[in-house]
Amino acid sequence: MSTGAIIFMAISWTFVLGLMAWSYRKIMRSKDHFDPDGTGPQKPPIRSKLEKKAARARGEPVR
Amino acid sequence: MSTSGTNPNEAWGSRIGLILAMAGNAVGLGNFLRFPSQAAANGGGSFMIPYFIAFLLLGIPLMWIEWGIGRNGGRFRKGHVPGMFAAIWHHPAAKYLGVIGMVIPLVVLIYYTVIESWTLAFTWFSVTGDYWSANTPESMQAYLASYQAIGDSSVHAVWKPFLFFFTTLAINIWVLSKGISGGIEKLAKIGMPILFIFAIILAISVFMIPPGENGIGAVQGLEFIYKPNFSELKNAKVWLAAAGQIFFTLSVGMGTLQCYASYLSTSDDIVLSGLATAATNETAEVVLGGSIAIPAAVAFFGVSGAMAVAQSGSFDIAFVTMPLIFQQMPGGQLLGAMWFGLLFFAGITSSVAMATPVVAFFREEFGYRRETVAWIIGGVALVFGLLTILWLQYGFLDEWDFWAGTFGLAVFAFIEVVLFMWVFKPEEAWKSLHQGADLRIPGGYKFVMTYVTPLYLGVILVAWAWQQAFPILTLQNVKPGTEFYIHASRLIIVAFIVFFLVMIRMAWKRNGYRDSEGFVEVTNTPAGTPPADPRHTEVAG
Repeated sequence: MSTGAIIFMAISWTFVLGLMAWSYRKIMRSKDHFDPDGTGPQKPPIRSKLEKKAARARGEPVR
Repeated sequence: MSTSGTNPNEAWGSRIGLILAMAGNAVGLGNFLRFPSQAAANGGGSFMIPYFIAFLLLGIPLMWIEWGIGRNGGRFRKGHVPGMFAAIWHHPAAKYLGVIGMVIPLVVLIYYTVIESWTLAFTWFSVTGDYWSANTPESMQAYLASYQAIGDSSVHAVWKPFLFFFTTLAINIWVLSKGISGGIEKLAKIGMPILFIFAIILAISVFMIPPGENGIGAVQGLEFIYKPNFSELKNAKVWLAAAGQIFFTLSVGMGTLQCYASYLSTSDDIVLSGLATAATNETAEVVLGGSIAIPAAVAFFGVSGAMAVAQSGSFDIAFVTMPLIFQQMPGGQLLGAMWFGLLFFAGITSSVAMATPVVAFFREEFGYRRETVAWIIGGVALVFGLLTILWLQYGFLDEWDFWAGTFGLAVFAFIEVVLFMWVFKPEEAWKSLHQGADLRIPGGYKFVMTYVTPLYLGVILVAWAWQQAFPILTLQNVKPGTEFYIHASRLIIVAFIVFFLVMIRMAWKRNGYRDSEGFVEVTNTPAGTPPADPRHTEVAG
């Protein structure tokens, strides 16, 4: 394989695999809305970080 | 997590199930067939530059916009595009514009199920080794043609295409009748991992093929796809091809992503989930789609042979070239079954999505049971699917594929971007997208989604109208004697449009909706709670 082809393939694969890994890692770590056993959330969804930030800005109690 | 047949308050059982279903909707035949040939034919590695630019400026914004429109519609329990459009634009025309989001998925569903039935048939033919005697391109072409062309019973009995079509359709409708969580999500949780496992096994098998006497192997296939040709970047055709590929691969402009997203609440994230869906689709396309068909073709037929294969079209790669290759590989029957099996799973996870907007419309607006609507759709798909099979050789399917599956998607996507970002206003759209978000969209994307994405889409639309729609509309380059079938296919699309326009009008009248007032937001009820009003939705006043 030529160097150019290797470079383009490496960049393309790194980009898509990296984006997928990063997205799923973030999803797995987000406990607010995620149910790892796949049976559905046990509790009602709680507010996201952004919502909490907005609520704090409005002077509302968070949780 | 209700999946009751009478309660429209359905929901996704889990977030991973939602993402797999969304990705299953997006991952289709194009990921494994269209992408590698497009890349090879449009500058190889340098094609990836306009491809990723289109992904960032067109694909991801459209993905977020469709999730946003859908989830916003879900606030008013509207899982269909006419209702979603009416929710963001309080104008009488809004609901009628949404008719495109009903007709496109229905028409595509009909012919897509026919193509899907070919993959099921060829899975069976691989298992039984039925095509093992067709070991030249000509004989394999004849084998495929005999299956597709009714009346040519030289290889296949006439009943075979019908049997596989009925089976495929029945599986689709059965899954659909089981609902969002009980049917579609379960299918995605089973089908998507199988699809990825099959694709990985096939890719590994292809790269284990020893190089031929001239030293050419599958690795040279990657060279064929990724070798950059920078002079092609000056060619507008390449940029258009890349944008088109991104557009098709993500299944945007169809009305299905919105419908899936309507089953989410405003507490659920759509930004990160949308991004994960797009990334999953891109991995299936770039990493796996680019590592099977073309590298295998280069390994067996050399670079010039693969060039001819790439230019022969997606169907020939799938149904002619790949079976020839499997016949020469150890364990070829199993690998052939995996190849067509993965195409079948890629197809079915998309086709069940295409029926959901129509199911949602009749359930929400007319109070019909999901199972009833699903089997009625099955009946409609059966009748028109039979026409597709019988008239395939006269260009009936190609005509539907262009107007509904190509040009219609761009028209619909353009309308929804304008409605969401311009009529709904960028600030409202931005706020709506970020409700419950686990990720903040970079600020620059507000500008991209407001100006760049619609402009990008507009350019594609004008180019396609000029290059393709006008010649097709005026029947240039059609085979003599096929005009009747082409007119018939167009007439059926028009009939579907008229039917749904009437149904939308009836629904609005029946439920007393007032366009200028919009809908009343529906608060979430516990799973399984029967609705107080069988129509489920009301408007103020």
